[in-house]
Amino acid sequence: MRIGIDIGGTHTDGVLIDGNHLVAAAKAPTHPHNLLASINQVLQAILTGQDPVRVQTLNLSTTLTTNAIVTGTTEPVGMLVSAGPGIAPSHYRIGDHYHLVYGSLDHLGTETSALDEQDLEEALADCRAQGVKCFGVASKFSPRNPAHENQMVEALGNQADFVSCGHLLSGQLNFGRRIHTLYYNSAVWRTFRTFAAALNASLKGFQLEAEVNILKADGGTMPLARAQQMPVQSIFSGPAASVMGILATTRMNQDLLALDIGGTTSDIAVFAGGQPLLEREGIAIEKRPTLVRAIRVESIGIGGDSSIQVVEGRVTTGPQRLGPCMAAGGPAPSLMDALNVAGMATFGEVDRSLQGLAALAAEHQLTPEQLAKAAIEAALDTLAAKITGLVREVNTKPVYTIHEILTDREIIPDRLIVIGGPAAVFKDLLAAQLGLEVVVPPLYEVANAIGAALTRTTSHLTLTADTARSRLSVPMLGIFRPIARGFSLQEAIAEAKKLLAADLDQAGVALPDDEIQITQADAFNMVDGGYTSGKNIRVEAQVRPALVSRLENSDVALRIAGAL
Amino acid sequence: MLKATTSLGVIFFPAFDWAISPTHPEREERLLYTQDQFREEGLFDIEGISEHRPLLATDQDIMRAHFCFPSVEAVCTESHRISAGGAIQAARLVLEQETRRAFALVRPPGHHAMKVVHGNRGFCNINIEAVMVEWIREHYGRKRIAIIDTDCHHGDGTQDVYWHDPDVLFISLHQDGRTLYPGSGFPNENGGPRALGKTVNLPLPPRTSDDGYLYAIEQVVLPILADFKPDLVINSAGQDNHYSDPITNMQFSAQGYAKLNELLKPDIAVLEGGYSIKGALPYVNLGICLAMAGCDYSAVREPDYNHASLRESAEIMETIKQTCAYVLDGYFHPPKGDFEKKGEYFIRERKIYYDTDGILEKQREELKDCDQCRGLRLIKTGSSHLLPCLGVELPIDCCPACEREGYEAFASSGTEFHITQLLDQKNKQFRYLSKK
Repeated sequence: MRIGIDIGGTHTDGVLIDGNHLVAAAKAPTHPHNLLASINQVLQAILTGQDPVRVQTLNLSTTLTTNAIVTGTTEPVGMLVSAGPGIAPSHYRIGDHYHLVYGSLDHLGTETSALDEQDLEEALADCRAQGVKCFGVASKFSPRNPAHENQMVEALGNQADFVSCGHLLSGQLNFGRRIHTLYYNSAVWRTFRTFAAALNASLKGFQLEAEVNILKADGGTMPLARAQQMPVQSIFSGPAASVMGILATTRMNQDLLALDIGGTTSDIAVFAGGQPLLEREGIAIEKRPTLVRAIRVESIGIGGDSSIQVVEGRVTTGPQRLGPCMAAGGPAPSLMDALNVAGMATFGEVDRSLQGLAALAAEHQLTPEQLAKAAIEAALDTLAAKITGLVREVNTKPVYTIHEILTDREIIPDRLIVIGGPAAVFKDLLAAQLGLEVVVPPLYEVANAIGAALTRTTSHLTLTADTARSRLSVPMLGIFRPIARGFSLQEAIAEAKKLLAADLDQAGVALPDDEIQITQADAFNMVDGGYTSGKNIRVEAQVRPALVSRLENSDVALRIAGAL
Repeated sequence: MLKATTSLGVIFFPAFDWAISPTHPEREERLLYTQDQFREEGLFDIEGISEHRPLLATDQDIMRAHFCFPSVEAVCTESHRISAGGAIQAARLVLEQETRRAFALVRPPGHHAMKVVHGNRGFCNINIEAVMVEWIREHYGRKRIAIIDTDCHHGDGTQDVYWHDPDVLFISLHQDGRTLYPGSGFPNENGGPRALGKTVNLPLPPRTSDDGYLYAIEQVVLPILADFKPDLVINSAGQDNHYSDPITNMQFSAQGYAKLNELLKPDIAVLEGGYSIKGALPYVNLGICLAMAGCDYSAVREPDYNHASLRESAEIMETIKQTCAYVLDGYFHPPKGDFEKKGEYFIRERKIYYDTDGILEKQREELKDCDQCRGLRLIKTGSSHLLPCLGVELPIDCCPACEREGYEAFASSGTEFHITQLLDQKNKQFRYLSKK
């Protein structure tokens, strides 16, 4: 049996699933300062009458790291950033302990200036004086040559409680993103570690012996032990969980869109042939781009609580939210109130919705019904424009080969899946506006938890080989070793698969070989002075997000744990 | 975080699956390290700099700019259509005002491709700037366009395409043709009888560095642009003036290229040559992109850059100054060319060698000396590989008499010529006629 728990902003949902059968589902309020209490409440509800020993896997999607960052309750991080010429590293300044250490590697990984030891010494002394215990270490082009990063880590010695090191984070090139990702990873490390310890203790109390995994923004999971090294990967896992939940509760293999309508915003995702699309490089945290792999989710400023405004006779809806809708005791008319007035919904106190809209409408010589209609249209227009833009963007993404230009298949979604609180209300409206078939899946209220329960471990690695220099690099695994000059692309692909499988195995995850997907495999002829000097080989392997099973039933009553 | 002060769209298309041959400079690896540098520097994370894919140039797009014999398919592959399509995408971004500027970082290049195309010369099949310029004029109307060719080799192809077009100012700065392929580009090559002075050639001595090159930009190119007042400035951005380029002899640097773009402020830049793929391109391309986007580029330099050791001698600088003064005077007071005339036609007879494909073309151009329009142009061309063909070009302002004569020549060509192509800029007619 598997447990999935999704801690959201307001609610925490939990499900217990046996094979492809939903056994129990529960909902509890989220206590932002005591997430463990929320977890315990849903566990209590879903485990009632069940044998906890039968649970093999518990997957948890948590807002812990997101909250820590949003509320600024993170730990100071000493950033040691090394670069030479090019875009100045000062542009990526982050946190209060950002230190530049001169040193330079070129795009081939050749050292062109040694690391400045005096810069490094001063940075370490400053961090010591300030009592900084967590660090992030980044050098430009470290995935090509980790020497400068390793030198800085070594110099830190036991001055650090925790160090995030650039090349171990990702084999992907992007210095700025590397810096940002390291910072956030170290900033939430202690918070996450404390939480993990408490979680383990709590699970023991339920007699749970399940392996525990943490949801990532790419829709997959990582073992809890790994998560303690890479807590930043747990950020923004909520939207990813809902995307996986849609996959688990619908049976679709075509191009489609998924919309999760919330109170303040709606999240839209694109599926190509039933597979969710990932961000090209990584998600942004506080508007700073990172290397955290993520399902591509576009946020739109339209939700049930989006406020309605009339400016110079024009009715607009969102992106502001002034509180809950009036039907739920809120202060000002919102989209949900408009739906109540238009007779499309009967949510909460419909009378209050009508009063609110009537007052606003009267100020602008409108009837409440006219205002409601205009507000709903404005919201739908915004949603439709964003959705069309997203599909266009996906279809015009850059490509780098003639083959791709000539064979690239256009993604044409013909179906929209809607989940989230007001999903059912929006179904027919969206169908009319977008000309798509709109489906509201069963169990849409706990889709996130179902997605969390049924998703599996994801992983990836980047391998490069330069046969002219007889060098193989797999930065994330810290592998930099010699190879034979005749090393081929086929050998590189086999090596990448083997290393990724071995790494997953070490993390306690067994996967069949064919689950490892090769997303890039190129070998470039390198020429020096008119003669072929070797091959420059680049391979990327991944285990993409996927479900262990899809749900067969939906006939389970939702249990409410605690006052919502 | 960095922010562009001038928004820039970059069409980055390295064609990782195309090469002339495995060890040819124009091979898959060419933009690999540029991509590495872009990625590591996070170029496309800079607010205001965006990445786009190329469009695909159609037969019509190519036939607006060229006479292709025996056909468009025979002389150009998908790679050329995509490369030209990259330039078109750059133009589209700018003219639709999606971005203020655009840089088509695409390959293969095009500036050695002339009006008539029989095959590949100087690594080029079709002229991607010319295809772009004609696409612009097709969709956005007649415009005054300046093309500044900063490739180290003379842009003889672009010069040939616009030799008779007074709406297009073509300026080429290049290593002296006496020392480098294609061996042309001297100041006396200054345009056809109807576009005199609208072709400007500025040969620079080998070992010219940043100082000499930027002197030429400031003292010659900028004053000419101020006089010509173009609607659009296009940079044919070859990167082979670099001190590490393996097939040229200049001493230009990434800093120099960036400064050049800051001075020139091109609306659109299109990559041409440049084959120091590890030592130059990653830095030069980064410098150009930052300069075009109005970002600080002061720290972009090659690991082995040394300004003092690269600087040209005083003697070379003196030569550059003299050439600059001569060329600038030549633009404002163009010496009348020595045009051969038979009856009411200007005649040019030439032999053109396609070095990559080993084709020798024999060409006779007849341009009608018309006082009502720029004149009908007939190009009779055959090669070592192809029977004589005819190109019939009607200019944008074609008068009724030239129009009638052109269509008669096209209709009756079947008896004499193997294949005829009509290029009617006035009525937008572009088609072929094969021998009966």
